[in-house]
Order: sequence, then structure tokens, then C-alpha cells
Amino acid sequence: MIRLANIRKSFGRHEVLKGIDLTVEKGEVVVILGPSGSGKTTLLRCVNFLERPDDGEITIGDLTVHCKRPGKQDVHRLRGKTAMVFQQYNLFRHKTALENVMEGLVVVRKVPKDEARRRSVELLEKVGLGDKLDAYPSQLSGGQQQRVGIARALAASPEVILFDEPTSALDPELVGEVLAVIRKIAKEGITMIVVTHEMGFAQDVASRVVFMDQGAVVEEGNPKELFRNPKEERTRQFLQRITPEAVYTI
Amino acid sequence: MKLDPAFIWTAFVELLSAVPTTLEITAVSVLCGFLIGAGTALARLYRVPVLRQLGSAYVTFIRGTPMLVHLLLVLFGLPMLIDSLAESLGWPLRSVSIPMIGFVYVAFSLTSGAYMSEVVRAGLLAVDRGQIEAAYAVGMTTPQALRRIVFPQAFAAALPNLSNSTIGMLHGSTLAFAASVVDVNAKAQIVASTNWKFFEAYIAAAVIFWGLTIAIERLTALLEKRHHAYNRGGVA
Repeated sequence: MIRLANIRKSFGRHEVLKGIDLTVEKGEVVVILGPSGSGKTTLLRCVNFLERPDDGEITIGDLTVHCKRPGKQDVHRLRGKTAMVFQQYNLFRHKTALENVMEGLVVVRKVPKDEARRRSVELLEKVGLGDKLDAYPSQLSGGQQQRVGIARALAASPEVILFDEPTSALDPELVGEVLAVIRKIAKEGITMIVVTHEMGFAQDVASRVVFMDQGAVVEEGNPKELFRNPKEERTRQFLQRITPEAVYTI
Repeated sequence: MKLDPAFIWTAFVELLSAVPTTLEITAVSVLCGFLIGAGTALARLYRVPVLRQLGSAYVTFIRGTPMLVHLLLVLFGLPMLIDSLAESLGWPLRSVSIPMIGFVYVAFSLTSGAYMSEVVRAGLLAVDRGQIEAAYAVGMTTPQALRRIVFPQAFAAALPNLSNSTIGMLHGSTLAFAASVVDVNAKAQIVASTNWKFFEAYIAAAVIFWGLTIAIERLTALLEKRHHAYNRGGVA
């Protein structure tokens, strides 16, 4: 289980997160929605301390980190329990697809090389890239790179995978292949927190949707509920603006 | 006066005996300079208090003064410093017992360190921030992330500048003659002083320097090929 309590973060005088509370149960897929600048990406980056929260508590499993004075060891252990999939993929540019997936296993988890290779090949086959093991990121399409990114995240067997707008940088026609992979692993019961703008995906994969605006959680609930009849006016406005199909189907 | 082609060959053979000195000066100054430069660059990039200001002052002073001046300052200043230190601490060390080439090493390492710090800085800046974030996200510590992810990419990005600096230090090593250290160029002067065939001797020296430079270029190309296997981008 993951529990975020009273997470606060300011950049200079701009308060980006105004005390966020969020609990994610094991196996849940939580999708965070919200307009840009609402703080959803910052919140996600706080979970693995790529952004250091000013205040609050992060609990993952048996580890609780107090954000005000985090110990170096605690931050390191926290990162060991999480994995992240980035908007810009951020694959290690000087390493092949296979090496990208192996790197964390060998360097961080000290898995013997043969074993790490075997597991990495398996994961790359799972995301449909069994034939691209030795390709460098520069030789792969955006969709392929992001699938390597997902395999790399899976390799760590983390307690939670954080997805930071995993399809936002992709060509529209490559979005599908990445979402398909995320769907597939969601079904396996891996805990995920996903920041995305893909509404369709949010509707049928999320076990819960959280709507954020201006650094606070406005509303959360199961996707059917939240999409069909949002309780808050702000949520309604947002959903209307980004799902304008209704306008055209009249 | 007529050109004496035969003497070019004679000089060339004699100059070869000075090649090790030239290479030693270059190697020592580039290696030590790289370490000094890496330290300075990291102090400036990570904004380490005090060290950062010292680093900036060092870089601007060294780059603002000629290499020959560094050598002369070290040559005349360092013995004074060593002797007064030795005296006050009671060491049995005297500066006259230090070979001249030692001062050359110190001076040129300082020279090259300042230039190298910019080479290293440029290399580190060329690595995308997302790379170290991804390294952290998979659970690496900062030293692991730097060693395994950042440095290899920074090195590849710094290679062209690195070879430039190395060639610069190779050619700069000729200034060592000011400290009576006999490098290839100085040897040419000595060889020619017996028969006044300076032109021939300097042609031989030029050929040797050119050859050494080509060797450095080849080595760089080789390293570049290996490190850039992954890099199919760029405008070239």
C-alpha cells in the first residue's frame, strides 16, 4: 500500500502542491487527471523524490519517509520500491534496449548477469520487442522506446510503477501500442499511478480516478462515476473541455 | 645557402631521442590537467561553496595568461615556496634537488587543468537531465549514476574538445625549453647549432609533431567510433 500524507511543495513562492493526501491500495491503478499546472506531474515526481517535497509523509509498504528531513538511505530505499516511466522515455542513450533493462538489475539489485539477461529478454518479449534487444534508443521509434522504458520499470519488480504522461510525446499512431502494453500489465495486478491525458484509457483501465486542480485534489472516485456525473463544478468544466465529442454528435 | 635534404634525415633521426620527453610532458599535463579540470568543473557545476569561487578564479587567471608565463611563474616561484616551507617544517628537502622537468609538469598541468575544466564542463552539460533522473528512478546512488550513466555520455560528448586540448598541450610542450628541458623542438635547435642548418632541423621537428598529432587524431577517431555507436543523431 502507498500512502501520501499532506504532501507540500513550492517552487520559489509558487505553491504547487497544497497538502495532498492519497492512498493507493495494492493492485490499484490510479489515474491522475487535471489541467496543466495542476501539480499532477510534480506529485508523481515527489513519490520517488525526483522532486523533494517540502513537507508531508510518504509510506510505501513498511517504509515511511518524512519529507522534511529525509535520510539519504530512506530516499534510496524509496526509489528501490518504485519505478518510473517518463514522458520523454529517458532511456540510457549509450546502452542497448537489453542493457537498459538489465542495468538496474545488475547495478542496483546485484542480480548475476546471466539471470538478469534472461529476465530482461523475457520482459522485452513481453512488451513485443524480442527482436530489438541490441538496438540503441536512437534506432527505435518513440513507441518502441517507451515500451523499453516500461520493461525497464517492470524489471525492478517495484511495489508501484509511476507513469508520467507516458504517451504525451508520441505520434498519435504510436499511442495505441504503448497503451496496450500498459493495459496488459495493469491486468496483472501491478500497482500503478498514472498521470495521463488519455481519457479513454483512464475510463477503462483505472480502478480510481483522481482529479487535481491548482495543487489540490478536487475529486476522486471510480471512473464511471467521475466521468458520468462529476460532483464538483471544476471537474465538470475540465471534462467538458477535453471530451468535446458530445458537441459533434448532436 | 642551399637546402640540405640529407641533413633533414640526420636531424630527424637525432630528434627521435627527444620524442619520449615530449610525450611525457604531454601525457602528464593532459592526465593531471584532466583530474584538476574534472574537480574544478564539478565544483562549479555543483556550486560547492568556496571551491567554486576558487575554481572560477583559477580558470580565468590561467586562461587569461600565456602558458609560457605559467612556466616562468612556477619556475621562479615554486622553489621559493618549497624552500621556505621545508625550512620552517624542518624537512631535508631542497628545491635544487628537484629535476627541472618536475617544474614543467606542475606548470603545464596547471595550464591544461583550466582548459580541461571547460572541456569537462561542456561534456557534463551535454548530458540530458533525464538521464540522471532515470538512473535515480531505477534506484542508483549518485556515484553509480555518475559513473555508469553520466560520465560515459559526457566523455563521448567531450572527445572532440579533449583531442583539441591534447594537441594543444603537445604543441605547447615545446615551451619546456625555457626550463632547459630538451624536447623535440629544443633538440632541433641543438642539433642545428653545430652546422647552422636550422631550417632542415625545424623541418624534421615539424614532421615529427605532425606525425604525433595524426596519431592523436587517429586515436580520437577510434574512441569516437566506439563511444558513438549509439549516437545516430546530430546535424552532421
